Amino acid sequence: MKLVTAVIKPFKLDSVKEAVEAAGAKGLTVSEVQGYGRQKGHTETYRGAEYQVAFTPKVKVEVLVGEDDVSGLVDVIAKAARTDKIGDGKIWVTAVDSVVRIRTGETGPDAI
Amino acid sequence: MHFLAQSVPVPYPSWLNTGDNTWQIAAATFVALQSIPGLMVLYAAVVPKKWAVNVMAMMFAGFSLVLIAWVLWSYKMGFGATSVGNGVKDGCQRWLGSGVDCASNLKATTGGFFEHFFDNFVGQPGTVTNSVQEQTQAVSAANDIIPFHFPADSLLYFQFVFAAITPLLFIGSVLGRIKFSAWCILCPLWSTFVYGVDAFMLWGGGYLAQEGALDFSGGFVIHMSAGVSGFVAAWVLGPRLARDREHFVPNNLLIAGVGAGILWLGWNGFNGGDPYYAGVDMSNAVVNTNIATAAGVLVWMAMDAWLSKQKKPTFLGGVNGMICGLVGITPCAGWVNGWGAIAVGAIDTIIVWFAWNYLSKVKPFSKVDDALGVIYTHGIAGLFGGLMLGVFGDPNMLEYGCGNLDASGQVVNTSATAFATSSSSCAPFSVSGFMYAPHHLHQLWEQFRAAVFVIIWSALITFILMKLIGLVLGGARYKDEVLEIGDVAIHDEEAYPADQLATLTSAGGGGGGAGGGGGGGAFQLAGFEVGSLSPPRPPDISPPPGALS
Repeated sequence: MKLVTAVIKPFKLDSVKEAVEAAGAKGLTVSEVQGYGRQKGHTETYRGAEYQVAFTPKVKVEVLVGEDDVSGLVDVIAKAARTDKIGDGKIWVTAVDSVVRIRTGETGPDAI
Repeated sequence: MHFLAQSVPVPYPSWLNTGDNTWQIAAATFVALQSIPGLMVLYAAVVPKKWAVNVMAMMFAGFSLVLIAWVLWSYKMGFGATSVGNGVKDGCQRWLGSGVDCASNLKATTGGFFEHFFDNFVGQPGTVTNSVQEQTQAVSAANDIIPFHFPADSLLYFQFVFAAITPLLFIGSVLGRIKFSAWCILCPLWSTFVYGVDAFMLWGGGYLAQEGALDFSGGFVIHMSAGVSGFVAAWVLGPRLARDREHFVPNNLLIAGVGAGILWLGWNGFNGGDPYYAGVDMSNAVVNTNIATAAGVLVWMAMDAWLSKQKKPTFLGGVNGMICGLVGITPCAGWVNGWGAIAVGAIDTIIVWFAWNYLSKVKPFSKVDDALGVIYTHGIAGLFGGLMLGVFGDPNMLEYGCGNLDASGQVVNTSATAFATSSSSCAPFSVSGFMYAPHHLHQLWEQFRAAVFVIIWSALITFILMKLIGLVLGGARYKDEVLEIGDVAIHDEEAYPADQLATLTSAGGGGGGAGGGGGGGAFQLAGFEVGSLSPPRPPDISPPPGALS
């Protein structure tokens, strides 16, 4: 079992969600996050004082999948989230030791 | 001392009534508060958080731009005593009755329709900025047998706050994509060419007023005009981003509640100020306004609860109903009775509810991105409110004129009294709608003609102005990459900045240094010394306690 984590531009969430659904994944978890990569932040000005905001708003999408579906899912997300401009985000995959579906108590791949 | 006791003190000329003057400025201030902060925070709260600052910035700029234009040229276009053509001259108008000899002043009466129409189309632009203009007794072409009992500045400011709120209302149609610069150009131009003409036509003694069309406080001149203009401007601009249209979620319903409340109670000044007297009809207008509004709130929430797909009463639905009631009663406020007010508020809200839920799916409404639906809650609500005056106007609800009322509200003595300026008799002024004997459709017909004119004129001129502004600015709409970011891209500000993520970089003057530990604090270091927005402050201003190190 793997956890696919993608940090994407907020306005790409809709297309990523549709792509993940179409790829057959049963669910996903989304959170609003802030961060920075190679993309620069931006400045804001309050009462004449300039502030550097190094962190850009992003959306983090997390999807649990079985081993076989990982590479396909990563491709699908990458394609859906791409604008070819700086700040498109990143996708990474981590191994998952165990999964439990809380309602039924199912474990392992059955719980995905 | 002997001399002073016998003369009229300078602050109170003989024509001035302190009650009237006090109420006029108080009412005007209520209406100003409806714009800022009422409408400003209502609109800013019901848009997604990335657009809140832009809405507020447009409101502030628009309010200020209209005021400058108002005193320099546009007030006189709407309310000057002389029209551009040969029609209205020296404060003369026919519709108020026989109190004044207007015939010698109205050349247009001898001409055909076109001469009559264009001679009484708009007032001559001019300033109201010097001591004489500001301190003299207020006059307007719409008003001669009923002299104002306050100075010119009171009328100028009262009318200004209406001129200001009108373009601010249709920010709701164009927000989320219109360039700030385009808005700043549009505001004074629209105020001049659309509002100036509409106001003169109906209020300044222009053609429609002479024909008998009436608008108590702006159902046509303000709300319908704003709705139509916003709709046309939104059409010319094109839609918001598809993403914004799908995710246009309010950012703060509590603040929306504050703005809505200020709008409602501010309307006591909006409609209560328009009799121009702190008298009986003022109270009638205020009470009717509140009755109609209550009816609007209840009707919309009930329809949401029983007829909507969700079958639940909604708060923002209640706000919509409130606006429908307020807008609907605006053209009728002092001319209907309590039953009429309930009817106007309820019927207007029912019409707008159906338009909001069903008409919006029909072309052209489905094709134009009117972001907050101003065409429904102001355009359609204003139209039907104005028409309903021709139905529910109660001939015994007297606004002005002469005479005494008996116990049953009938006028028993119409001889000239203190209201009349000439020796001839003056009749009481009220409106007779279709509901009341002799059941004439005349007023409804006049209302209809006025509505057609205001719709066509507002739409046409707004279209031309938006096209011209688009040409000058290379498009009046921001590019998509700006729209994706919103406030931060346009103003470098956001409504809810995350303080811990932002680092002060422009400490500016002196040795504070960027974010240097233990400086005088952001306010002192940068805000009050560097920025163009900063108020001038002495450099030795004390830092707040705790900022000292």
